[in-house]
Amino acid sequence: MLAVNADDAAVSAPLVSVRNVQKTYFTRQASVQAVASASLDVARGEFVSLLGPSGCGKSTLLMMIAGLEQPTSGSILLGGAEVKKPRRDIGVIFQDATLLPWKTSLENVLFPIRILKLPIEAYRQRAHELLKMVGLSGFEHKKPSELSGGMRQRVSICRALIHDPDILLMDEPFSALDAITRDQMNVALSEILETYKKTVIFVTHSIREAAFLSDRVVVMGGRPSTIALDMKMPFPRPRRFEIEETPEFAMVCRKLRLTIEQAHQGPPSTSSVVETRAGESRAGQIE
Amino acid sequence: MAPTGIGTETGAIIAGPALQKETGLANLRGIALPVALAAIVLVGWQLAVTLGHIPPVILPSPVSITKYIIDRYDILLMHAIPTTLESAAAFVLATLLGIALAIIITYSQIAREALYPNLVFFQLIPKIALAPLFIIWLGIGSQSRIAFSVFIAFFPIVIATTAGFANVDKGTLRLCRALTASEWQIFTSVRFPAALPHIFSGMKIAITLAIIGVIIGEFITAQAGLGYLIIFATARADTEISMAAIVVLCICGLLLYGLVALGESIANRFYSAESS
Repeated sequence: MLAVNADDAAVSAPLVSVRNVQKTYFTRQASVQAVASASLDVARGEFVSLLGPSGCGKSTLLMMIAGLEQPTSGSILLGGAEVKKPRRDIGVIFQDATLLPWKTSLENVLFPIRILKLPIEAYRQRAHELLKMVGLSGFEHKKPSELSGGMRQRVSICRALIHDPDILLMDEPFSALDAITRDQMNVALSEILETYKKTVIFVTHSIREAAFLSDRVVVMGGRPSTIALDMKMPFPRPRRFEIEETPEFAMVCRKLRLTIEQAHQGPPSTSSVVETRAGESRAGQIE
Repeated sequence: MAPTGIGTETGAIIAGPALQKETGLANLRGIALPVALAAIVLVGWQLAVTLGHIPPVILPSPVSITKYIIDRYDILLMHAIPTTLESAAAFVLATLLGIALAIIITYSQIAREALYPNLVFFQLIPKIALAPLFIIWLGIGSQSRIAFSVFIAFFPIVIATTAGFANVDKGTLRLCRALTASEWQIFTSVRFPAALPHIFSGMKIAITLAIIGVIIGEFITAQAGLGYLIIFATARADTEISMAAIVVLCICGLLLYGLVALGESIANRFYSAESS
């Protein structure tokens, strides 16, 4: 029943440490509090999902960890040092693949190497290996317009891994894909991470996806949002699709869903405002 | 002009679906139809002049114009060279100036707020009216024609290039920031290539304006050039020379436009979203 990674997580200090982070956006008319207060530790090698409905501040939190946004108060430590700006040892994967349309898959994968001024030739072999790993051998010299959505996102995963960052930050990477492709991508991702061990923080609004991929799921909810639940996923690795059919998996999903609902129904004033975006309703249906 | 892929007149298409491959028949049709129409007009013109006994000073016939071009190609060439070179020089300067201004407008908010409205206002001035002033300022040499031509041609490049620089995908910019890319790296590896289709569509408009600018300059000052030849011949009621000069001018214009289109198709090879 215990999480497999629990013992090595306990040994070292957390790699990522989020301390009382609060984020408020100021516009001319009003201020909007996106994250009320979040504290979170992520150990080296751990896969942690931030789960919650759209607009709950989970992406904002991820962008702050990436150094792309600054917390209004509180601090984010990475290996003990405060994150003030983007760092080279982080790979970020966004909801859109954001590939350069005029570059081939291979050139897109090597793009970070160019930006980081590392020797391109030394990484070419690795780029080929990564593309092969995600099942894109033979597509190295295709441009994004010739690839499907899932293929493009796989290229962007390779791109995030090419310079071998310690940490992968993934912001709803599969939410633009259809359900079948998404399931395939989940399996592909967990296979990739068995080969290339990474610390991953993964933002999603799919309960099933979070439960399947993660060592720990952190539920964010409420407006302004806080962390409602921090739960270990008790499934052994390597994980295959079959675990989704176990009663244990169903129970975990149920618990996560109830937490999300409670977090959202908290103060009665907000319960009447229900945004029905595609993602939320989808996340709600899944058991 | 044949479709050249990314740089359509609207300039906005980069990731659009691949143009449908024209079949051989449709391709032939695309050439045959305009050629046939032009032939009909020319034959009609010739017949009207011959049968209608229109005097050559009013309208010389296509045959006599062609004959003149062949007979006196040396004179025409002599005048075509300065016009073409000055147009090309003005076009290059306008392109550099236009892109430089677009960079300033893109990267400096103060410059954008101060400069952009003035540029647009500037554009509303009937610029041709300013041509004589350039002669007062810069004399009667080629520098005043080139300066005037740059003045006429740079604006579409500024507008198109600024739009191109602003057209960059926000996600790509965020990715670059996450990778700790410098502004210079973002410019060279993302912004500039993404703006290329826009820049080329601006350049295609600018090249035609550059030629117009030089011709207007030559109308006013020159001792050589096709514009000068047209004015000179018209003053002497030598319509044939005038028409011949206009035909040569069209050929020079096509040549320059063709060079820009060639540059675009070379850029396309590296910066097109389509497979190469």
